[in-house]
Amino acid sequence: MKLKLLYSDLKPELDMIEKELEQAVDSESLLLNDASLHLLQAGGKRIRPVFVLLAGKFGNYNIDVMKQVAVPLELIHMASLVHDDVIDDSEVRRGKPTVKAEWNNSVAMYTGDFILARALEYISEIDSPKLHHILSKTMIEVCRGEIIQIEDKYKLDQNLRDYLRRIKRKTALLISSSCELGALVSGTDEKTAAHLRRFGYFIGMSFQIIDDILDFTSTDEELGKPAGSDFIQGNITLPILCARKNPEVYSLLKNNLGKELTEPERLHIVKTIRDSTAIDEAKAISERYLQKALEELAYLPKGNANKTMRKIAFFIGKRKF
Amino acid sequence: MNEQLIHSKITSMEIDVLRAVKQRTLEKFTEGPSVERARLFFLLLPYFDEKHWSGEIEASAKTVSIVYAALHAHDQVKENASATKKQQLTVLAGDFYSGIYYQMLANLNNITMIQRLATAIIKVSEKKASFHDGLERTTAELDRSVQQIETELLATFYNFYGFDNYTPLATLMLSYIRYKDELECLQGGSETRIIRALNETLQHPLHTERWLLEKLDILHDQISLTINSYNFNYDLKNFMLHQITPHQHRAEQLTREG
Repeated sequence: MKLKLLYSDLKPELDMIEKELEQAVDSESLLLNDASLHLLQAGGKRIRPVFVLLAGKFGNYNIDVMKQVAVPLELIHMASLVHDDVIDDSEVRRGKPTVKAEWNNSVAMYTGDFILARALEYISEIDSPKLHHILSKTMIEVCRGEIIQIEDKYKLDQNLRDYLRRIKRKTALLISSSCELGALVSGTDEKTAAHLRRFGYFIGMSFQIIDDILDFTSTDEELGKPAGSDFIQGNITLPILCARKNPEVYSLLKNNLGKELTEPERLHIVKTIRDSTAIDEAKAISERYLQKALEELAYLPKGNANKTMRKIAFFIGKRKF
Repeated sequence: MNEQLIHSKITSMEIDVLRAVKQRTLEKFTEGPSVERARLFFLLLPYFDEKHWSGEIEASAKTVSIVYAALHAHDQVKENASATKKQQLTVLAGDFYSGIYYQMLANLNNITMIQRLATAIIKVSEKKASFHDGLERTTAELDRSVQQIETELLATFYNFYGFDNYTPLATLMLSYIRYKDELECLQGGSETRIIRALNETLQHPLHTERWLLEKLDILHDQISLTINSYNFNYDLKNFMLHQITPHQHRAEQLTREG
């Protein structure tokens, strides 16, 4: 089952948002237009707009208002992706060449700046200081998360708390804010907004942990990049933190971290992690976040939105790639 | 306001801006935020010229300076270089500064300014991208792009607070400073995106150098005339003229010597 099928009820609204996204990246610069559309058409789960819309269903849902938040949140995510590809020197994303690979780093920088500015231009239609406080804080924290990720690279001896704090900033906060802002603009009460915010946070944490697991358990084809890329790039993720408890695996990881790996070496490391208990341990931690997310949903009114959020949570816990 | 007080006010603003964007890792591994004093001067020009000024206007001026720093950081990312730690953090520095300016304006509840600056950033990004699209452009078109890149954000700030009358002067002076820096790069043997574009249009670096020298002469004359058309006090007028005097008439010299 595909994730998108879970929120097929939202298809008309998501189609509308897709059109808005295309309009939003329209530019008088043909180059920026092409680069932004290239990124947009590479697809994506549109999980942030989905959470904005679903959160809005707990209040006074008006798609014209909801899209004012859903579109910029996806744009902010897109802008960060195009810059991330420069940071990671990535050639391919979702099976298509990245903007930096298709054009160059400078074009990727201007494309990201352009898309981010469009997002702010769009969301500043909403005159809600609280919304802008939340979003601006989130954007800063996301950056801090990425800065810390670079600082923490190749540090095999970091602790679990370092990892969790990093993924909170890197992934969970924007999903959490998507839920909270959806609640805010639809006028839910504060309690509901807080439960939605926490749901987004727990789901975001679980989502990122699963992503980090899949980097070892998926095939190169499924990932669209070599399995074990996180390790190759020096990113110490949860499966690595769990695997290093075994002294032999620790030595293997320590000796190869930051090294230019041969293909057999890479495959050996991936297999070692895959065959260890690390994957199950990491899954158990992801599962705990998932349970917490479900607990938050239990506080919210029953209905279709609640049901869909529950289905998405289960899907995230079980997704294969 | 005398020259020393002008310098002191600019320095105070510079310190505030640097404090607002301070981040330990970025400070350690990147060149740090670019906060150009010439831009700060123009952001503060209404204050120096004793126009209506408030804490809110000054805070907005700081955010404009931070946007410049954000976009400047992204200009430092090398076109085709691979991802060194410095390069990675330079990308993030620009994004981080963008978050800071957004947060500062959100804290001021100045949502309209957020929107106006976002529109200005779009225009600047479009003009910057135009240096990479491979299309042929005349020097006049390139000049307009340079002007917009240099002054769009400042013009937005002026427009928002009703200081539009300073825009023509700021455009001339910031273009002058940009071309002066470009000339120094060219003469120092380095190539910027502007030099590359001018070389493509004019077809030879020597023609580019001549064009830059002539442009600086023209701008110099225009600036002198424009400054005199304002009712600035003696010190302020002198301060601005002092910024450009050492560079005048170089094109004439080149003609006589060459």
